[in-house]
Order: sequence, then structure tokens, then C-alpha cells
Amino acid sequence: MGHDLALLAPEITVLLTAVGALIAEMLRRPQISLVVAVIGLFVATGMTLRLLGTDTTVFDGSFRIDTLSLWAKLILLPATVLSMLLARVDVRGSAREGTVYSLLIFSTLGALVLAGAGDTMFLVLGTLLTGLATFALVAYPDTDPATEAAMKFFVFASVTTSIMIFGLSYWFGASGSTLLADLPGMETMPLAVILGFVAVVVGLGYKASLVPFHFWAPDAYEGAPLSIAAYLSVVPKIGALFALTQVVRELPPETGWVVVMAGLAVLSMTYGYLAALVQDNLIRLLAYSSIAQSGYFLLGILAVGSSDLALPSIILFAAAYAAMNLGAFAVVATTGRSLKDFDGLGRGRPLIGIAMVIFLLSLVGIPPLAGFVGKFMLFAAAIDVGFTWLAVVAIVNSVLSLAVYLRIIVPMYRLGKPASGAMEPWHRGVVIMAFAATLVIGLAAQFLLV
Amino acid sequence: MLPLVSLTLFLPLVGAVLILCLPKPTARTVHGIAIVSAALTLIGALAMWLQGVGGEGFSQIEELEWMPAIGAAYRVGVDGISLPLVLLSAVLFLVSLIYASSLRDRPRAYVALILLLETSAIGTFTALDGILFYVFFEVSLVSMYFMIAGWGHEDRQRAALMFFIYTLLGSLPLLLAILGLYLGSPDPTFDMRAWIANPPLEGAAAMWALIAMLITFAVKIPAIPLHTWLPAAHVQAPTVGSVILAGIMLKFGTYGLVRFALQMTPDAFREAGIVVLFFGVVSAIYGAFAALAQTDLKRLVAYTSVNHMGYVIVGVSVAALTLDPAIRATALDGAVLQMFSHGLVTSALFFLVGMIQERAHTREMGEFSGLLTTVPLLGWFFVLAAFASLGLPGLAHFPAEFQIFLATLGTTPIAVVVILGIAIIAGTFLKALREIFLGEPRDRWNKMPDLSPREILAVAPLLVLTVSTGVAPSWVLDVIHRTTSALVL
Repeated sequence: MGHDLALLAPEITVLLTAVGALIAEMLRRPQISLVVAVIGLFVATGMTLRLLGTDTTVFDGSFRIDTLSLWAKLILLPATVLSMLLARVDVRGSAREGTVYSLLIFSTLGALVLAGAGDTMFLVLGTLLTGLATFALVAYPDTDPATEAAMKFFVFASVTTSIMIFGLSYWFGASGSTLLADLPGMETMPLAVILGFVAVVVGLGYKASLVPFHFWAPDAYEGAPLSIAAYLSVVPKIGALFALTQVVRELPPETGWVVVMAGLAVLSMTYGYLAALVQDNLIRLLAYSSIAQSGYFLLGILAVGSSDLALPSIILFAAAYAAMNLGAFAVVATTGRSLKDFDGLGRGRPLIGIAMVIFLLSLVGIPPLAGFVGKFMLFAAAIDVGFTWLAVVAIVNSVLSLAVYLRIIVPMYRLGKPASGAMEPWHRGVVIMAFAATLVIGLAAQFLLV
Repeated sequence: MLPLVSLTLFLPLVGAVLILCLPKPTARTVHGIAIVSAALTLIGALAMWLQGVGGEGFSQIEELEWMPAIGAAYRVGVDGISLPLVLLSAVLFLVSLIYASSLRDRPRAYVALILLLETSAIGTFTALDGILFYVFFEVSLVSMYFMIAGWGHEDRQRAALMFFIYTLLGSLPLLLAILGLYLGSPDPTFDMRAWIANPPLEGAAAMWALIAMLITFAVKIPAIPLHTWLPAAHVQAPTVGSVILAGIMLKFGTYGLVRFALQMTPDAFREAGIVVLFFGVVSAIYGAFAALAQTDLKRLVAYTSVNHMGYVIVGVSVAALTLDPAIRATALDGAVLQMFSHGLVTSALFFLVGMIQERAHTREMGEFSGLLTTVPLLGWFFVLAAFASLGLPGLAHFPAEFQIFLATLGTTPIAVVVILGIAIIAGTFLKALREIFLGEPRDRWNKMPDLSPREILAVAPLLVLTVSTGVAPSWVLDVIHRTTSALVL
């Protein structure tokens, strides 16, 4: 048990950090709350670095300390820090600022639990922990749109999570165990396995905003504070996709899960970009774009177990996605939510302009940026397991995505009234860090190829 | 030993970064730094030229670990096919920057983009790693998009968008082909040398990879029917953009055709060669006829590129079809020399058209008459470049086209049809020359100034090289032939 706890040191640190941030808030010291949160998350990241290379489980196999769950921490903890810096601008001066930081950390803890889940109960725990914290975060501004968004989010989440729990009961019934590792032993009851799998896809699919479980995402993103939308599009999503990876690792191929993943990938990529193409509100545009990007993850997930490229591709793309998506949201935060706000941005504020271009081109997958390396690996993984047609579909969608993102880039350099204005130092910090990450992940990908 | 290739490759990038980092530099400083870094790059390319290439495979190889986990590395080097193109790039970018040195509209971003393009061009020609090649290939596309969108003519946004989407859509099949080659290798690697030495794909897989590559390169070249982006991009691009597009970026396609399609899927190419040849012939003839029909001078030059690149396709596909090493070497010698010559001649033509447009604000040929008396220097330069373009003996295109036709005749009698293209191009240029430069000078152009020293400096080196390549092609051909004669398929 003591050994188990040592392996869980990062998670425990995250938990203590959340509590610490809350205590600082009780003392009415929001700044200290932020400082505690940032330091705590960095310490947890450092602890994770020391564990890198470990591949074991704790609590009798129910929680996994493996490549996936360790990299989840290395990606999601820094991403949470960036989200908190963005949130600082949204909530500064309001009551209960520290609560927001604390909720963000609780939600991240949920995502980490999902990413390391080796047991169906951890799937439930992670989903609930992430969900409960994020409902509150979306509703935080106490405005009508925010409340409405949170309600939609909540209702949708309740239904999908209930379906997941219901489905998991079949798995329990069939195997007599809650461990994912016991799933392959249930070949006597294939129907139960399939039903359970479908339900898990529903439960995790909503969190990852895969089509057709995506309905809540654009509305919730739009109603929520911008920093929370940025956070939602990255941390809980990656947590859910990693959890999905942990689940399919144990599924026997006869269940046909590979085909389900391929189908969801096509739907998410295509529908996401088609819908993004007609948006004028950048938050909605980015929401649909993030739905499409979720589809790309599935190219790697369907190769899990059959290709050595699968896990590296998922991790690499997750890191790339976190950097470029947070960066794009940060630029939107400093520029404005309407497409019109970007007219002349590149001429008026050249550095922000260049950063935005880099984020968007990385989202398209243009080399040598992070998004390219990630997508490249995902395509390689899919082709490696014989899904060349899916890689072709993904590539065609990449071209579609170019049209989506160029709708933002083109007005930035069109002659027109150059936008100007001072930039929040917090926003600037996030943009710079995300920018550096987008370049570095592209050029130094070997460190993430595990 | 200095890492010559890497130095040459990254010098322009260093210049670009330097320019972007300077706080509030004057236009003079910006252009100065750019010209100096391009001049140093040319010196690097010349040093590479002096080092020369070996007979078989690549020389001057430099390697660095990059992503060992998946077998990707930073690998660069040259052979007789890439070295002339590196030299061509170094020359063209230097003269382009000299020509651009009068620009006052956001010069910083403009020359930084040109320098970035130079790095990506030299990188594309020297990369020996599949991923690295693709990276440079795509970076050039992005830079060109911003160049056209930011500094082009009236309808630049639409042309830039069309260019970008078209060529990105075009280049993604190559990505699939590269992944196919990677996964097909017995020991998965992105090392292009390994792919060339032991083509990893065979049968249907090789054919699919070849088709993917052909789509990509046909868009880039551009070949019929995937050429429709070219006239719009050329017409809307600023002069330097057109020069780089025609002089360098079209070569990405033909270079890729040799490096990837011919060398990595040789058997599939042999099977499909006759179809590729057909498209080459159609491109050559169609480009010639389309050029004949133009009244806009810039579009005319753009369409002659379709014609000239058609000959390159013919040359490469003949090399793929034939089993005789001597004929293959001749065909490839011609094709590579044609790429080199086209870079010199067409760039000179685009410069001169740009100069005419700058003075007259129109490119309609009917608007001009008797310019040879008004601006004699510009006129004679144009005449020389036009004659080179129509394949006059003693100028750069002749030895190239001659070898292509020679090899084609030795393989299929289709050569007769291709030669028709030369006749039409000759007619096109003669008609244009008569209309613009001969006849009665018009009053409205009386005050037109002749070439300035800056403009002479931009065009004259290209014409000197055009003549020297035409008169004594051996200085380039020897380098090319070392590699092509050793090429075993």
C-alpha cells in the first residue's frame, strides 16, 4: 500500500493543491490561491517526470501507472496551468476567484483518473469528478447564457453518464469483476461486452465531444467564460480519449470496436469541419473544430493493440492539440469572439497575428508544426493496421479544415482597419507559452515518442 | 570539414530571423541583410558545386538524429540531379532580392518570406529524409501563400486561396505515399537513400503510391489537367513571387517525379510510363496553344511554363520506359537540364514582364508598339530571353530539349508530336515580339525609362547563364550526367 501511494504521489499532490487553493480562497486571498495552484501543479508535473518509464498498476490493477497515464499528467497539468492563467483575466476581482482555480484542479484530477483507469469504477469516478467541477465552472459567471449553457451541459452529461453506468453493469454481470483487464475473459457473453462497450462510448464520447454526442459542446463553450471553454476543449477531452484508449486495449477484436471507432472518426472529422465552415462566432468555430480534432484521435485509438505507432501517435497528438488549441483560444480571448474582430489583426498586431497563424496552421497539420507531426503519426498508425481509406478521409478533411482556418487567417491580412490595442499580460504569457510549445513539439517530437 | 549543405540551407533562414528580430530597422538595412545572406548562400552553393558529386548515390551527406524512434532523421546531401537545382535556387533568390530591394511596402515581412522560401527550396532539393522533404515542400507553399496574399495584384486574395488549397490538396497524396514507403520498408525508416536502393513497395501497393505521387507532382509541375491554379497565381503574384514560383517551385514537381516516382517506384512507373508520357505530351501541346491564345503577357509566359514542363515530364517518363541505360541517361540529362534552363529563362522573362508592367501598368500586348526604340535595353533583353524560351540553338533550352527529343525518338515515335509544341511556342513569341517591340512607337510610352542598374543586375546574370548554358552546356551536363549515367532502375 505504501508503495502504491508513492506511485500516486502526483495525483495526491494535485488533490492537495486543489484543497490548498480552496483554503487560500477561504482566507480571501485569491492571489495566493493562484500561486498555490500553479506551484502545486508544477510540483506534480516534476514528480511525474521522475516516474516516467514506469509501467505498473496500483490498487490491484484498478489504476494504471503506465505511459498513457504518465503522459496524461505531463500534458494535462501544464494545460491546466495555462487555463488558469487565462481564467485569471475572466474572474479577477470577482467573488470566489480561488474557487475557480480549485474547481479547475478538481476537474483535472478527474481527467487524470480517467486517463489511468484500469477499472470500470474509475471510469465512473473520473467522469463524475470532471463533470461536476465543469458544470459549476460553466455556470460561474451567473449570467443567463452561462446558466443555460450549464443546464444543457448538465442534462446531457447526466443522461450519457447514466447510460454508461448502466452499460458497465453488463460488464460486471458478465465477468463478475470491475477490472478492465478481465474483459477478454468474457467471450461466452459477447452481447454483454458489446452492449457495455456501446454504453462506454456514449459516456466517454460526450466528454470527448465525438459526433453524435457533441450537441452540448458549441452551446456550452459559447455560454461559458472563454477560459473555461478553452479548458473544456482540452483537458476533459484528452482525459476521456485516453480513457477510451485504456478501454479498447482490453477489448477482444471480435466485438468489432475497431469499426465503430473508424465510423465515429469519419463522422466527427467530417461533420465537425463542415459545421465549422459556416460559423461566424469564433468560439463556435473552435468548438466544431475541436469536435473534428477528436475524430483524428480515433485514428490512433483504433490501432491500439495492433500497431506500435498507436500509443505514441495518440500522446503526441494530445500534446500538440493541447498547445495549439489553448493558444488559439488565448488569441481569441485577446482579440474578440467575432470573425470581424480579426480584420487587419496581422497588420495591426503582427506578433499576435503570426502566433495565430502558427496555431491555425498547426491545427491544419502543416509541417513542421506540432499538429503536423501528431497527425502524421496518427495517419501512419491507421495505415499500419490497414485503414488506409480512413487516412485518406482524414487527409481530405484536413483540406476541408484548411478552408475553415483560412477564414480566420485571410481577413487578418486583408487591407482594412488594422486592429490594435494593448494585450493583457496574462494572455500574452499564455500565447507565448503555447506558441513555444507548438514549435518545440513539432521539432523535438522524439522526446514524446515513447 | 564545414557542413556545407546545412550551412547553405540555413543561411537564408538565419537572415530572415535576423531581420525579424531587429527592432525597427530601416528598409535599407533589411534589404542589405537579405542580399548579404543570399550572397553568402550563393557562395555556399558554389562551394558545393566545386566539391562536386560522386558517380553513384549521394555526396556531401550530413546526418543528425531527429526522431530515432520512428527512423526519421535530419539527412541532407546532393547528387547530380539536385545540385544544379540548388545552384539555380541560390542564383535566382539572390537576383530576386536585388530586384526587390526597391520595395517600401512592409519590406521586412516580404524579404523574410523570400528568405524562408529560399531555405525551403534548397531544403526540398537536398533533403534525403521523407519527412524532412515533406516539411520543406509544405513550408514553401505556406510562404508563397502569404507572399501572393500580401503583395500580389488586384485579385490576390482569391488567387492565393486557390493556390493554397489546390497545392495543399495536391501535396497530401504525397504524404500517403511517404507513409506507404515507410511502412513498406523492411526496417521502417524515412531514409530516402534506403527507399531508392531497395524500393520498398511492389505490385499494387507501388502502383497506388505512384498514383499518389503523380497527383502531387502533377499539381506542382503543373501538368494537364491539374494546372488551373497556375495562371491565376502567376498573374496575381508580385513579380518576385512569379519568378520564384516559375523558376523554383515548379521544379519541386519535376524533381519529385525523378526522385520519388522514378527512383522509388521504378517498376510501377515503367508500367504506367506510357500514360504519364501521354500527359506530358498533352501538357506540352496544350501549354503551347494556350500561350498562343493569350493577350496578357504574363499569362503568356505562365502558359509557356506548362509547355516547357511538359517536355520534362516526357523526358522523365521516357527514362522510366526505356531499358537502355544510355537512352535513359540522355532522357534524364535533358530533363534535368530543362529544369535548370527553364529556371533561368522563364525567371528572366517574368522579371522583364514585371518591369514592363511597372512602367505601363498594363500587360495587354495590344497596348504596346515599337518598344524596342523606346526602351532598347529592356527590349533586347526580352528578345534574347524569348528566343531562349522558344529553343533557339546556342541558348539554354536547346541542348535540353534536343536531348529529350533524341531520347524520345529512340523510344517511341511520339516525339514528332512533341516537336509541334516548339513550333507553336516559336510562333507565340514571334507574334508577341512583333506586337510589343516592333512597329511604330506610340506617344504614350515615349517617356518610358529604360532599365535601371538594379534591374540590369537582376536580369543580366540570368541571361549570361542562359547563353553560357546554351553555348557550352557541358559545365552543367557533366554534373548531371555523373548521376544519370550511374542510375540503375
